[in-house]
This record gives sequence, C-alpha cells and structure tokens, in this order.
Amino acid sequence: MRGKTGIVTVLVGTAKGAFFFHADADRRAWKMTGPHLDGWEIYSLYGDSRGSGGNRVFAGTSHFVYGPTIRVSEDMGETWTQVEASPSYSKESGFTLNRIWQIVPGHPTEPDTLYAGVDQAGLFVSRDSGTTWDEVTSLSQHPTREEWGPGNGGLCLHTILVDPSNPQRMWVGISAVGVFRTDDGGQSWKTCNQGLPQVVTGVRTHDVGRCVHKIVLDPKDPKTLYCQFHGGVFKSTDAADSWQAIESGLPSNFGFPMGLTASGDLFVVPLESDMQRHVKDGLLRVYRSRDGGASWSPSGQGLPEQPHYVGVLRDALAVDSLDPAGVYFGTSMGEVFCSPDGGESWDRLPGQFPRITYIKTWVREED
Amino acid sequence: MGIEIRVPTILRDCTGGHNPVIIEAVTLAEALARLRETYPLLRIHLYDEAERLRPHVHIYYNEESTQWLDHLDVPLRPGDRLEIVQAVSGG
Repeated sequence: MRGKTGIVTVLVGTAKGAFFFHADADRRAWKMTGPHLDGWEIYSLYGDSRGSGGNRVFAGTSHFVYGPTIRVSEDMGETWTQVEASPSYSKESGFTLNRIWQIVPGHPTEPDTLYAGVDQAGLFVSRDSGTTWDEVTSLSQHPTREEWGPGNGGLCLHTILVDPSNPQRMWVGISAVGVFRTDDGGQSWKTCNQGLPQVVTGVRTHDVGRCVHKIVLDPKDPKTLYCQFHGGVFKSTDAADSWQAIESGLPSNFGFPMGLTASGDLFVVPLESDMQRHVKDGLLRVYRSRDGGASWSPSGQGLPEQPHYVGVLRDALAVDSLDPAGVYFGTSMGEVFCSPDGGESWDRLPGQFPRITYIKTWVREED
Repeated sequence: MGIEIRVPTILRDCTGGHNPVIIEAVTLAEALARLRETYPLLRIHLYDEAERLRPHVHIYYNEESTQWLDHLDVPLRPGDRLEIVQAVSGG
C-alpha cells in the first residue's frame, strides 16, 4: 500500500503471549491490546485480509509442556479458536513438531493458501484458509535430510518467500541447514547455498550445513535476495543460485533479523558475535543500506545512547508497506521500537514485555 | 459412571472453558481414551506424534500419575478423579 492511508497494526509475539499495537497511517499514536494468548509462546503471527474471511489473525502458539498449534482470531484477538487440523507430523515420519515459526500467505493469485514453517524443519501448506494443513513431504524428505542438524534455535524452518511474479517459485530458509528453492510449486527443491560458508554442525554435511538466519526478497526484482547469515551478510542477484558478501560499513557481520522495504532499504541489527549475541559494543543500532547492500550506516536518531546489552531475534524486525515505510523491532528485553519514517527517527513504544520473539506488520483499509 | 477430570487453565480452550469435565467410563483406560475422543484439541497438547504423553505432562489418577501404574485396566470407583498436571520443570 502506498501513501498515508489505512490502519496499521504491529503484531508482537513474545515468550509469553502476544500484544497488538494499532495506529493510523501516521504511526505516531499507538493503542495497545493484550496480552493475547497469555502464557503461550508466540513464534509466528499473520494478519490476513485476503479472500472473503474478513480480517483474521493467525498465531503459531507453543508451550514447552503442551506443544504447538495454530490459533486464529476473527475479532482482533478478543477470542481465539484452535485449528484442530494444525500442522502435525505423522507417527510414521519419526519427526516431532516443536514450534510453528512462520505463517505466511501464498501467492496473490491463491488467496486461500497459507504456508507454515516449523521446527523440526518442515513446510506445511493450507489450501482452505488455514482450516487444514498438509506436510510438503518433498522438502521434509529431501535427499539431504539426513544431513540436517539443529542450530542453537533448533531445527527450524524460519523463512518462507513466495515469488510474486511466479507462483511456482518459492524459497525457504532452515537454520544450520541452508536455502532451498522450488520452481515447480513445491514438487521438488534444490539447495541454493553456493557462496554461503559451511558452519560446524553435529552432522557431516555437503550441500547443506549453512546457517541462514533470515532471508528477504526484493518484490520489485524477485531474483534479488538478501541473507543475514550466522556470520555474514549476503546478496544474490540470480534467485539464490549464488551469494556474495555485502558487509561494507557494518561493525559486525553477525546478527539475526533482516528487513527490506518496498523502496529497497535494507535493515539489519549487528550483534557482537555468536559467543555474546548482544548488540555490538552494547550500542543498540539498526544499520541501513540504501544502495542494495553496497554500503551500510547506522539509521537515524532516537535509539538508546546508554549501554544496552540486548539482542534482537530473527523474526523480531519488520517493515510495513506504507510510504515512507515503518520499521519496527523488538528486543530480548521486551522493548519495542518504531520508526515511522524508514529509519530516520526512532521511538520506543510504551510498555515492557516478555522477550520479543516475533514482529509482523499488517496494513489494511479498515476493520 | 462419570469420572471428574480437572484441566489446567491454559488448556481450557480445549474443553470449551469447562473445568472439570466429566467423562463416562468403566475403566481408567476407557476414561483416558474417551477424554481424547471427546476433546481432540486436548489430545494435541497432551500427546506427541507417537501417541505418548508429552515428557512434562502427567495425568494423575487420584494420588498417582497414570505413568506409574502397571496397567490402565483399572475399574473406576465412585469418587475417583483425574487431573492433568504439568511437571515442575526448572525454576
């Protein structure tokens, strides 16, 4: 959506429940609701205005005792219904479903389609607006599967990207495993890790063993992707067939989240290293590139100047679709920061929350 | 006969908000099977893919976890009760 119209909701998932922030397109005055789903880990959220179902919020909920499931709300979080046929592995698969890391819409021509990425790594698809889900076995039974090993965050499929120009093409990212692409609607998958360094996992690997933390896709040029890697920031201009490092100006190449606006601005949050996993030198800064990753510099004013030894998780940064784009991120200490002007200025939203696991934006015409 | 089953707060959306729920059964095994059938959402949260109780979940039969019993073919008696309990895990 271009211009300053519409309602903006920032969906915030935490280690204990979800919180929603609502504002008009100016994004200066926010109203919070929540906690929603109090007590549940929220590792994925998606606000869906497509199709005939009205406005619905999907939440990937999990609990270390009681396991994962998808819940859906048709009244902005006031009430929730569990999806009985949520993603689940069969007994015969031998896999365990621990978390639902991602819920994303299908191609614009498929308004009833949703995809879910899960831990243990797998992809699920729903063709009926989230009522039933099927495992995409071509991926979870990929020939490299025996070489998939978990990273610190688990064996999670955390990124799903659908090519807006080609409904047959998708990419997924799996932590400590790598990037996969399908060009035939999910019937087959190829590894796309050329140029990404191998990392040490608990398994001997060949084509996999690449610890991708987050991938974003340029919607204007869907052959261009960017990747925040375990130790490195990379760009591909050939649909992920190959990757090249783009780290000029970054104080550290380690981090988790990555955001890309419709106008092409990229955002990352450099962390000290995989040993510390807090922001570089205790200075909370979001770095921005306005030239496709050729150079990076700290984005604008308003972030804390005092020591701030926090982290930002892989899904805890998001951009909205307005112009100028809003940029949002949450910290491991439960703070949510907002820039309504593409990173020129930052404000902290009111409140202190549990560890922020997930942020996604939702811009719509009206409720 | 009906046996009372207590459900923790966080799982009550699986039982339509009801707590306790009453299940008609003759044996303990039948009560547990009918609990899963009657409340399939509860089944998701109590059992894993291999249909084993999740590692930190216990279902107490009176004063004992059902996991500690030799078998579940136990005739139910008036006053028996079941309770879904989360094992203390850390903290």
